Amino acid sequence: MGQAVSTMKINTLSMRKFILFIAALPWILFSCSKEDNDYTFVDKRMNFVVPLNFPVPAQDVTLNYPTEKGFELGLKLFYDGRLSADGTISCSFCHEQGYAFTHHGHDFSHGINDQIGIRNAPAVQNLAFLNEYFYDGASNSMEMLSIVPIHNPVEMAETMEGITAKLKKDAAYVKLYKEAFEDGQISTGNTLKALGQFMTMMISANSRYDKYVRKEPGGSMSAQELQGMAVFQDKCASCHKTDLFTDSAFRNNGLPPNPNLDDKGREVVTGFPADRYKFKVPSLRNVALTAPYMHDGRFGSLESVLNFYTSGVKNSETLDPLLSQNGVLGLTLSQDEKEAVIAFLKTLTDDEYIKNPLFYYKT
Amino acid sequence: MKFQSKYFAAIMAAASLFVSCSNDDDSKPVDGTTGDAELFFDNGVAGDALVLGTSYTNSNSESLTINRLNYIISNITFIKEDGTEFQYPKDENYFIISAQNGEQTIHLHEIPAGDYKKVRFGIGVDQERFLQGETAQQSFWDLATQYDLTWTWSTGYKFILFEGTFTAPGVDGEKVFQVHQGSNTSTDNYREVTLNLPTTARVRQGDEPSIHLKTDVNVLLDGDTKIKLKDNLNPAGTSSAIMGGQNLIDIANNSLKMFTVDHVHNGAGGEHDED
Repeated sequence: MGQAVSTMKINTLSMRKFILFIAALPWILFSCSKEDNDYTFVDKRMNFVVPLNFPVPAQDVTLNYPTEKGFELGLKLFYDGRLSADGTISCSFCHEQGYAFTHHGHDFSHGINDQIGIRNAPAVQNLAFLNEYFYDGASNSMEMLSIVPIHNPVEMAETMEGITAKLKKDAAYVKLYKEAFEDGQISTGNTLKALGQFMTMMISANSRYDKYVRKEPGGSMSAQELQGMAVFQDKCASCHKTDLFTDSAFRNNGLPPNPNLDDKGREVVTGFPADRYKFKVPSLRNVALTAPYMHDGRFGSLESVLNFYTSGVKNSETLDPLLSQNGVLGLTLSQDEKEAVIAFLKTLTDDEYIKNPLFYYKT
Repeated sequence: MKFQSKYFAAIMAAASLFVSCSNDDDSKPVDGTTGDAELFFDNGVAGDALVLGTSYTNSNSESLTINRLNYIISNITFIKEDGTEFQYPKDENYFIISAQNGEQTIHLHEIPAGDYKKVRFGIGVDQERFLQGETAQQSFWDLATQYDLTWTWSTGYKFILFEGTFTAPGVDGEKVFQVHQGSNTSTDNYREVTLNLPTTARVRQGDEPSIHLKTDVNVLLDGDTKIKLKDNLNPAGTSSAIMGGQNLIDIANNSLKMFTVDHVHNGAGGEHDED
């Protein structure tokens, strides 16, 4: 640099620049010696691919497009208990990868101080393709949804400000936030964005069923599974629509309310009595792994779920009309059909997703 | 000497009055220049000044003692006589007015010089911006949290936080009320109002017109649609929490009449002090 200046035509402007540079030198050297400034934004975009058999994403992923470092940060946050008030409950506590990111064997989600929630932890998968989240639709933004479990007093019981303060003391996070975001700040916005980027990439679309419909190797289906698929399309697919296996609507499926909870579902968010006891239709991807079932985890097996739909549907003012056709409550399914449907549902298990090391945090 | 400096100050003040007056003349705005402006929100209750802790009786025969009032003003746009509009840059166009903290003024910078006849703004956060996430919101979440204007059991902003206690005929004693106005995933309760300015706001380089608005919080429950707190008591009868359903749609529509422009100060000396 000094040499370059000496060969330049000396005029007052370049001289001034040179003086400025000399003046800035100690500062630059000082900056370099500070650990904070060793890290800069790494703009390496990940590859978000819409599976061929999926509808278009419901979320605009371009607004918070995943980068390698943003994803890495989101992954680390997802598995970090410090997102809860007492450091014990991470997102992954109730969303375990081996069970399609549900809380295996638990009817209700757990929180700090052994508290128990009122709903069953839903699977975390294909969120970019959904427009509303939680059983009651408490959020419509993939970037903002993490606010809900973080603040829930019976789940993580933390605040975004509390998380920011804790993470600022951790050198590993200081580094990651600087690499993940242009402004490099540990902030509410960046924490939510990192979690959003991680969840954007959580796509489950490689089950045997997917390979079958995309005519890919490994996509063979047995006669019983194909029979089950036909029954499913006839009896179940009006709600469990598309290859997401949900229409994202809120419906009352006739489940008798648990009198001890009286969870009003969608009405909690909207305040409209017409939404009472309506819950979001869940995706059935990986459903064989996500027991127990229903918003309150009351059924332990898929057999019990189908038995409910054939003989347990309870009438009420807001019961979904699709479950009350021609004076008959629920669905009509023979034992043979139930077994076939369950065989079909098992083809929705995506081993590649639940074993994908990309979503596993190596401590 | 002391007397003389006072005298000097008086002369200067008198001179500045003349300067101010001259700014009220129809000086033409200079193209390419910008000026500042401010919106001052004078919070009131049906013609009375809002003093937190004071009791006000509305036409529903309910007496409300208001303890907290915070609200979000957004998407401020200035409109000229010919209809041309200047919308303040969207990234910086979200503000909080807090009666609780005595914060009533929004200062705006670099507005194109011009004669503005109307102002338009939103009450709350529009869905478009909300769905663009935190980057677009410029970390508005953190700011709004400080004013208790965020929801955490669902995700979104409280557009208006209006809380206190009330008494009503047939209700035994004083009860708590909480009105949390906002959008949810079912209803979009963001609203915009367009208000005429009784005096042209002359934005000029070096000048800062001050638009003095009156906010009538009474209309929230006692506006075109009447909402009785008594009818919204919880089953235990201890408090009225209005945070969803048809009430929020009614309040959104009532809020269209919440603001009026009382007057506009032109010139450099029109700023209001926070009180």
